[in-house]
Amino acid sequence: MDDNKSAALICTCGKQLQLKYDFLETQVSKMNLVASATVHDFVCQEEGLAKIAETLKANDGHLVIAACSSQKIQPRIDQYLKSHDIDSTQIQYVNIREHSAWVHKDIDEATKKSADMIRGTLARSAKAVKRSVEQKEVSPHVTVIGGGIAGIESALSLSNLGYKVVLLEIKDELGGHVQSLPVVAPTGKSGKEILSGRLEAIKNDKDITIMTKVRVKFVSGEQGNFSIHYLSDDDEEKTLNTSAIVLATGFKEFKPTSMEEYRYGKNPDVITQFELSCMLSEGKLARPSDGAPIKEVVMVQCVGSRSEDYKKDCSKLCCTFAIDNSLEILERIPDATVRIVYMDIRVPFENEMIYKESREKGVDYIRGRVSMTWEHEGKTYVRIYDSLLDKYLDIPVDLLVLSSAILPSDGTLELSETLGYAVEDDGHVKELYGKLRRNETRRRGVVAVGGITRPQFVFEAITDAQAGALVIHNELQGGTIHTVARGAVLNVDDCVGCSLCAQQCPRGVPLMIEQTEAEESDEEQKILFKAAIDTLNCHACGVCQSLCPSGATQLNFLSNDQLWSEIDAVLEGAGPENPITLCFYCEECSVSTIDIVGTRRMEYPASTRLIPVPCAGRVSIIDILKAFEHGASTVMIAACEKDRCHIGGTGNEIAQVQVDVARDILNAIGWKGERVDMFRMFSAEPERFTKAVNEMVKRAKDLGPTPVHDGTAGKWREMSE
Amino acid sequence: MSASNPVLIIGAGVAGMTAAVELADSGIKAVLVERQETVGGNALDLYKAFPTDDCFYCFEGNRWRPGIRKCFYRSALIDQPNISLKMNSEVNTISGTPGQFTVTLSVGPQYIDPKKCTMCGLCLEKSKAFHLISPQCQPQAVVYNPSINDDGAKQAEEECPTKAISLNAQPTEEIIKVSDIIIATGYHEMKPVNMDEYSYGKHPNIITQLELAKIIDPNGESNGVPLKPSDGKPVKRVMMVQCVGSRDENYYPYCSKICCVFALKHANILMQERDGVQVSVVYMDIRTYDRYERYYHTARESGVEFIRGRVSLIQPREDGSLDIVVYDSLLNKYLKFSVDLFVLSSALEPPEGTNKLIESLGLKSASGFVGIADPKTENEVIVGDHIYACGTALGPAEVPESVTQARAAVSKILQSRK
Repeated sequence: MDDNKSAALICTCGKQLQLKYDFLETQVSKMNLVASATVHDFVCQEEGLAKIAETLKANDGHLVIAACSSQKIQPRIDQYLKSHDIDSTQIQYVNIREHSAWVHKDIDEATKKSADMIRGTLARSAKAVKRSVEQKEVSPHVTVIGGGIAGIESALSLSNLGYKVVLLEIKDELGGHVQSLPVVAPTGKSGKEILSGRLEAIKNDKDITIMTKVRVKFVSGEQGNFSIHYLSDDDEEKTLNTSAIVLATGFKEFKPTSMEEYRYGKNPDVITQFELSCMLSEGKLARPSDGAPIKEVVMVQCVGSRSEDYKKDCSKLCCTFAIDNSLEILERIPDATVRIVYMDIRVPFENEMIYKESREKGVDYIRGRVSMTWEHEGKTYVRIYDSLLDKYLDIPVDLLVLSSAILPSDGTLELSETLGYAVEDDGHVKELYGKLRRNETRRRGVVAVGGITRPQFVFEAITDAQAGALVIHNELQGGTIHTVARGAVLNVDDCVGCSLCAQQCPRGVPLMIEQTEAEESDEEQKILFKAAIDTLNCHACGVCQSLCPSGATQLNFLSNDQLWSEIDAVLEGAGPENPITLCFYCEECSVSTIDIVGTRRMEYPASTRLIPVPCAGRVSIIDILKAFEHGASTVMIAACEKDRCHIGGTGNEIAQVQVDVARDILNAIGWKGERVDMFRMFSAEPERFTKAVNEMVKRAKDLGPTPVHDGTAGKWREMSE
Repeated sequence: MSASNPVLIIGAGVAGMTAAVELADSGIKAVLVERQETVGGNALDLYKAFPTDDCFYCFEGNRWRPGIRKCFYRSALIDQPNISLKMNSEVNTISGTPGQFTVTLSVGPQYIDPKKCTMCGLCLEKSKAFHLISPQCQPQAVVYNPSINDDGAKQAEEECPTKAISLNAQPTEEIIKVSDIIIATGYHEMKPVNMDEYSYGKHPNIITQLELAKIIDPNGESNGVPLKPSDGKPVKRVMMVQCVGSRDENYYPYCSKICCVFALKHANILMQERDGVQVSVVYMDIRTYDRYERYYHTARESGVEFIRGRVSLIQPREDGSLDIVVYDSLLNKYLKFSVDLFVLSSALEPPEGTNKLIESLGLKSASGFVGIADPKTENEVIVGDHIYACGTALGPAEVPESVTQARAAVSKILQSRK
């Protein structure tokens, strides 16, 4: 592709930035890829926006804006241009304020760095292509797996939002665990009462199809076009087409048969808390072994929870359940004795008041553990260690109730591969990002709500379901998806069928499609599967691009050519006399951190050049080596925190691999591997960036000129030229 | 249906901001009213938030702003189409009928036009009347303190390159019509000045958890090094006490839910990321629900000392340190400690004005917070007819819960408009 020349608008921030603008203007004017260079005082204000519009028109959309953080001004500029019907998709930004003028005292150095980064951005801009709005129609149809409270609420919410919904339930009726709860704190209503209105609504809803006794086998396709393969009531395998999936498969209660101290499964009078709920709901409160009345009840908290051997975490609901049920027992058998053996009573917010009520009504709380259970002459006994009294108590019981851990429902792991969601250490479905994206899963188009994500109270599962419906609505937009196609574009002719993109995409977007029609003369050469990427489903991180061996998949806003020419241009003049540290930074946490460093005027050496990438995972080994080839002394990648990668957890892990391999290559050719490194940061701790960049500048100094600087790596240079 | 009418969101903390952005993204106009000068609410001061241990908040990319996640400071709330942000403002009265509310707003003086302010820094050099609340503040603009009306301020007003400053700005009143109301008024951390047993407010080294968050914030005055408020010397020994004002019939009978995790997060930061600090926690029950158990594990592993019991006596010494006597209920003994900083995990209480809001809109109260309209439905975000609530307005909530509730409220509004 021919290089386009771009106009450059260089902002002075109301003449407040300490840069040599005359020199900068002259320098930029002389650059190969510039059409014009203009210094302007306020690109973010009305007059500046008008100037941008005018310049864009004159330069066929090719414009470089050198100003403050694009993170701040781009929304305003985009909005202005959109309202004037001017395309803004080719504009490239370079931050000469937070990333240069505000962090370097030496005005000459800062000006030089700014000029270099403008040159780099002009190179990126030269190969920028216009991105257009695309539209795609998908069926406004969503499938909800699981007919408990979360699934029911999801179905109702989605139907209300205008979608056709199929609700799949593995059992023969809807309602899940909630049906069997005699009382739900803090409102004190029974599970059946909470469900009844919803069950009524769902049956009368024409847009909801309920299918019971259905087991999901596997799922193929992608958001907008999933096929769910399931076993129906009569064991027949059937297929269902749908655009998105809500996973609401709930939880299961741990059955503590392996815990010797409780004799669960051996002694019928030892039951779990949920089994007690069922007894209370059915009105059959009697000793299971012989139907005798109940007088003495001991409940044990944290059975399997908060335990290294079973479930590490707290199950959150069990304290409230135990208190609810003990109050219910006392209501029915006023002279019963209920003892609750606990480690910490954990009852959030107003549930505390129910805890207090239970104490007032005589429930006895013993801080300690049950150490053994045994039967003697037809009676069951437990031995309790009371840690406050430092004593053992032996107590006869009619009912020993185990508040057993809450685990993800069966099949969660089995479905994870086909549905493409990740699974937490505790077996629940892993959220995309703990703070903001609790309902989204790794796989686009698959949302998880309710107990399958974590133990949840009834009201929380309902809220989750309502929020999950919004997340799906945001994705499907009622069936007409209308958006700028910004993301990876795959050139099928170049695809070699390696499937790296499909394996490593953090959101599971690329699909491997069987090439049934591709007839190759030589059977050996035939590629059986090739990737397909729907750009509208893409999250635009660039992981697929950094891994693709053939350059088949590339981001439409940052192609390999664009990044490589930017590396080349930004490093002009880098060498033994001018050791430069090149920093690739992700436009997620890293750009924020580096911007905040600027806002706080934290200084660092000006021998640094910065290049933005959407995610650290976009940076490939080749990109790193290109930087050295063009004279960088050290290269760093600034990325989000470990396991907090914004795109779903794996982008910065891929980057780490690329850095590790690049180091190995450097070591193998006799360089020092530590010339490249990766650093993790977030904006609440800005010094993470300054520490990192100082370290890499120090390494550049300590390690001295690279062999490229000396010209001794000639062979390598030839090969990549 | 008054579908063209905007939605009023009261409070621009985590919940309110999320609701505003989600509504705006779905093409519904939102009027976001915030009492303070920066959005972010209490979360802005959190430094690190659980469960992710990174910044307190960020925005998801959306239809209007493609991308993945946008840091708080670049949320561009003032530039989002469909969002009208009213800073320094309060809701005065609400009248009308559900679906057609008439709201009068008191809009405080807009000394700084955030759209014009470029944060160039000129005014900051001219006068102390201007300051930047936080590098992450939103809107990204300086704020002005009218009580310091010096010559520098006037000079700054004249010289501001974008003419963003207007020192004579006056408060105004606005009347708007809205179809729905989302209450996202958040919480207030109780200042335990009336609890004599803790001497809060009487000694500089007795502080609350939110105050501690500011002290250990790397963006704060001491760059995150914990220093004693009394003399600026390094803090070596910290004692935290849980359930201050919570689970207490004299103050708030409920559990404030997040203080245990909040305290342990701070304990872990102090023990693991700050030099030579020893932390003790006095508690009744440690309530680290669900996966937050991890914080408890980490705290135990990193050597935080846990004492089950209550504080019975605090005695300040001349060197600024505090002698604390604690009753340990496991050992049935009184123990004496000497500490530099005494941190109260103070209750979360409804913010000022909640009562008035509940009364004027005829809502239910849940221990002073906004209650569910129809408890039987367990629809926690629906608190009235065309009235929703999310975040800590509903009672103590974590950041992710607030976000989910905000989405649920928006989901319900969209459902009602279909």
